[in-house]
Amino acid sequence: MAGGYKYFEAVEKHAGLLGILTAIMVSIGGLAEITPLFMAAHTVKPADGVKPYDALRLAGKDIYVREGCYLCHSQMVRALRAETERYGPYSVAEESVYDRPFQWGSKRTGPDLARVGGKYSDEWQRQHLRNPRAVVPESNMPSYAWLSQSLLDGADIEARMRTLRLLGDPYSDADIAGARTAVTGHTEMEALIAYLQGLGINNEPKKAASDAAKPEAAP
Amino acid sequence: MSPFWSGWIMFLVVLNLGITLFLFLWGQRVKIPTQSDGTSGHVWAHGVLREGVRTLPLWWVLLSGAMFLTGFTYLYLYPGFGAYTGKLGWTSHQQLANDVAANNAKLDPILQRFAGQPVETIARDATATRMGERLFIDNCAACHGRTGHGNPVLGAPNLVDHDWLYGGDGATILASIEDGRHGTMPPFSGSFDKDMIEDIANYVLSLSGADHSPAKAKLGAPQFALCAACHGPTGTGNVALGAPNLTDHIWLYGGDLATIEKTIRDGRGGVMPAWRSRLSDTDARLVAAWVYAQSHTD
Repeated sequence: MAGGYKYFEAVEKHAGLLGILTAIMVSIGGLAEITPLFMAAHTVKPADGVKPYDALRLAGKDIYVREGCYLCHSQMVRALRAETERYGPYSVAEESVYDRPFQWGSKRTGPDLARVGGKYSDEWQRQHLRNPRAVVPESNMPSYAWLSQSLLDGADIEARMRTLRLLGDPYSDADIAGARTAVTGHTEMEALIAYLQGLGINNEPKKAASDAAKPEAAP
Repeated sequence: MSPFWSGWIMFLVVLNLGITLFLFLWGQRVKIPTQSDGTSGHVWAHGVLREGVRTLPLWWVLLSGAMFLTGFTYLYLYPGFGAYTGKLGWTSHQQLANDVAANNAKLDPILQRFAGQPVETIARDATATRMGERLFIDNCAACHGRTGHGNPVLGAPNLVDHDWLYGGDGATILASIEDGRHGTMPPFSGSFDKDMIEDIANYVLSLSGADHSPAKAKLGAPQFALCAACHGPTGTGNVALGAPNLTDHIWLYGGDLATIEKTIRDGRGGVMPAWRSRLSDTDARLVAAWVYAQSHTD
């Protein structure tokens, strides 16, 4: 074992070789952790009741993404008691199959929104988006009042739905044909509220695993 | 996890730990050819910088060894090595279920005292109202405010003023929480023109003795017959419909002339969401008890 100095010397003296070997070692971690999950992602089936977004909600989701709501709001309830207590059953991959890109987020300046649908009235959402301080005095969320002034541009909603169908979302021809009519005349505010009010409503697991799983005897 | 991906992960883990452990052990034994001056003979900057030969510090060797040990122990105890579930059988779901069970073991004996009890009874218990207040702040404050004083922007009623749209007994408060309420006032812009709406609004103001134009109120009085269907002939409201009493000085959306005109013209639709799916029955009773206690302080 003691005679291997020439190998160490070779790595030490050739920066290119050192770089290649480093890259190989670093990539092993990624190959082990990322590849299996990446391949598994293609086999995730939507949970019961999880449907592709209808046209208005899809438009709302695009506004959510455009305004960067994910920068302050996550959409993933983690499997921790404090979270399930506050937000409801923890999120599972099957709920996010139609979220492209997914909105799990990693930063919470505001609360998690994965199950906010139906928690407040439409009017609350409207007033809150218009001026968050009107309903939550200590809120530091910016106001999004202009959303109620801008009408949705239905020009590209069909194209968006066709693209999502290409990626595997089961939109029917009728869904896409009716999309433009469905969004025309609605404001961006209405679309965003429709999206928010649907979050977690239809895709809540029938029985939360946190309730169903019986605690096992201490090992 | 399929056997293929399990094997894939196992292979890479063994490869990674194998290579690094081998280098860790081998690297310390390799004999470095040493020049007479105690250096390796590697020079930089025309001999100004020379590479000395030293053995690795003991603390570094020990820490690296401990790192390997930690890695192996972790892979033995916890899931990580392919499909192997780990000696402890730990999962995040089971961890959560255990945490919930541990918490419930502390909480349930307290909650059991209140389960199914009438709200009025629970409201006399200081522990219950403290828990109810906490739940109220978490769930109800977004509309009713932290102190329950309501919010005219939403028409969210003040809950501490002894005035009730649907009734202030415990069972009614509990029903409002669990099943929600939809207060619907239809728009009357189709039935009345602008002047008639102003007349009716003045009449409504006169009911509570607020500032108003008596002449206009007189004109509005006959039109109020339509409003009486819900608000009653004398305007005292109807708890069966949640139609507000118009003769007190309590206003959901505001009691100035312009706001009342707007209410008549455009209607109102106050929505209290149903909380049955979000709050357990006992939790809902605790919230109801706190609300009840706020308006029954004397």
